[in-house]
Amino acid sequence: MDLQLTPKHLEFRDQLRSWLAANMRRPWREELRDPAATENGLMEFRRAWQKKLYEGGYLGMDWPREWGGRGAGEVEKAIFEEEMARADAPPILNTLGIGLLGPALVHHGSEEQRRRFIPPMLSGDEIWCQGFSEPGAGSDLASLRTSARLDGDVFVLNGQKIWTTFGPWADWIFVLARTDSKDRYGGISFILCKLDTPGVTVRPLRQITGESEFGEVFFEDARVPRANLVGEIGGGWRIAMTVLAYERGAMSLAASVRFGSDLDALAAACKAHGRTSASVREKLARLLVENEVMRANGIRTLANFADGKAPGPESSIEKIYWSEFDKRFRDTALDLLGPGGQLLRTSANARDDVDWAREFLWSRAGTIYSGSSEIQRNIISKRVLNLPQDGR
Amino acid sequence: MKFDLSDDQALLRSSTRDFLSSEFSLEKSRGVMEHSKEGFDASEWRRFAEMGYLGLALPARAGGQELGAIELAIVQEEMGRMCVPGPFLDVVLAAAVLAAAGGHDALVRDVVAGKKIVVIARHDAPFAGTAATPLAAHGTRVRGTKYFVPFAAAADALIVTTADGLVLVDGPFDVTPLQTIDLAQRFGDVALDREGARLGPLTLLERVDRLGAVAAAAMMLGLMARSLEMTLEYVQTRQAFARPIGAFQALQHRMADMLLKVESTRSAVYRAAWCLDVDDAEAPLACATAKAYAGDAARLVCGEAIQMHGGIGFTWELDLHLYFKRAKTLEQHYGSTESQLESALAAAGY
Repeated sequence: MDLQLTPKHLEFRDQLRSWLAANMRRPWREELRDPAATENGLMEFRRAWQKKLYEGGYLGMDWPREWGGRGAGEVEKAIFEEEMARADAPPILNTLGIGLLGPALVHHGSEEQRRRFIPPMLSGDEIWCQGFSEPGAGSDLASLRTSARLDGDVFVLNGQKIWTTFGPWADWIFVLARTDSKDRYGGISFILCKLDTPGVTVRPLRQITGESEFGEVFFEDARVPRANLVGEIGGGWRIAMTVLAYERGAMSLAASVRFGSDLDALAAACKAHGRTSASVREKLARLLVENEVMRANGIRTLANFADGKAPGPESSIEKIYWSEFDKRFRDTALDLLGPGGQLLRTSANARDDVDWAREFLWSRAGTIYSGSSEIQRNIISKRVLNLPQDGR
Repeated sequence: MKFDLSDDQALLRSSTRDFLSSEFSLEKSRGVMEHSKEGFDASEWRRFAEMGYLGLALPARAGGQELGAIELAIVQEEMGRMCVPGPFLDVVLAAAVLAAAGGHDALVRDVVAGKKIVVIARHDAPFAGTAATPLAAHGTRVRGTKYFVPFAAAADALIVTTADGLVLVDGPFDVTPLQTIDLAQRFGDVALDREGARLGPLTLLERVDRLGAVAAAAMMLGLMARSLEMTLEYVQTRQAFARPIGAFQALQHRMADMLLKVESTRSAVYRAAWCLDVDDAEAPLACATAKAYAGDAARLVCGEAIQMHGGIGFTWELDLHLYFKRAKTLEQHYGSTESQLESALAAAGY
């Protein structure tokens, strides 16, 4: 057992720290607080920031160099996420392209697809959204009904996708579509579709935070070249599973850094407002302990990566842990801050440390997206605990 | 970087598991727990010493093997899995204090050899909170009562905490044995009015307390891991409504949460042990975290194990209650959850 970063990884971390110090205009929370900031403006700001990171060589960390990646490993990727969190760096814009489609193309795409799609994905010139969920297919994703009928060299897409994160800002969507109505898993294919294709309509959906970060996408006889099929016809489910494993990957370390700095702010606020009773202190202490355990989980995953171990179904444990903790943390924060914790960022008297009200609302999303907590528990029951199935 | 145990550490785990399963079967331990006055078997204690376990983390000059907190955690986890009764951790921690104080090498060697039992006597009140009449030290004379002294009836000497520091007091002692819920750890109140030898300041306990917190958390890890295993075996075989009850999602999701707690405790315990071994600046927070989290997690997991077994889970016959009781006891000792939460706040500067 050795939980210390190697000199090589420490050097990478230190270089990244100086790069961030030299290239970041100001912390993300200050960008958000700027009275001139608009939803569109912030999106464009994130695109420009992403381009800077790409030019600095920090995106596509574990992808081969020939496709525009850095050729480093999962350890560097996790360090990158941790340092971005530590610096409160702005998030990139193309999170779903780089986070999900990238790994799918690296593992399952053709050489042509990698060369065509990866560079603009990394630079932020083409933004991607994810077309998995449908109105009738959420947790039971394999029941999806959006169809792709082959007509010569073209797929004809019909159906509807929903909860499509970044839909309103994206240029492209990667779609799970049914190419065989009889084969539940083997009838699903993974297809790339440009959002300005005739027959494709995107409509924003307003979220409980008031933002419209996600939307719905309609396909009415939308024609997509066959060359945009990733992998084989009917191979989409397997690709989707690869993609979701990446989505659930090593998030604990970076999350614990973000929660940790917000917790510091919360503790300071309690102190400043004279909220030092035993019950307040116990709440803070429990959050602190839970966050430290999450950090230990993250360090363990990082060490396993360094030891050459790919994440298994245990990544479901990390997903449940951080997302459920997020809810407890944000809820407790609002309790400790009193009525002032519920002030919107735009309100008079709003706190300028953390957007507590938005974080509180936003925390309700984490246990739903990317496989709900219930689905994660199903995965653990089936694939880790090997419990008998179908006794619902 | 590597989370897995080294080859030597893995060997320690497997040899300890073999040793404990051949010599400390739960059936045998139950006999000791239910019938022996001291709460452990003297001949088994000597076997522990012969195997070198008592000096695991001590320096070579004290007869120790110079291993670290990770190795102690491994042994403690394995002992937790078997719910082994006896003063192992209490003696290991007392020996660590003696070794840190210096000047008692002969005594430490006797402890390591299993010939003498020394434990720390620290509670000045039977319930948490301030003592009505705290134990007083006048020079090296201690006068007063120490409460909840572990395995007091078997102790040859006590390390007594006083406001001015630590005093080593030789037995025999005037012990009032206590009956608690836990059969694996015995306690007694000790009335003292005796000359002792000054060992040093209370700060000698700082590192030992962290070691104790991690080791106790490691034992809780073993307790809950084994409780979960027993539950997984049971739900595969127990039938209700014409299927194994493990097929019901109402139980599956709770078992998934049990696994989450077991594995998260594992991350926290071994990270804390590693921090102690390399003297990492984060050790104080990591150790407090491991103990506080393990306490809640073990109570929940061992409790859920009883619930999922139904009526049989509430019987004396089934072993689960031994694990549940041990977990609850460990929550209060080696730094209670409440005190670990305070330590965590202090370490974070909150």
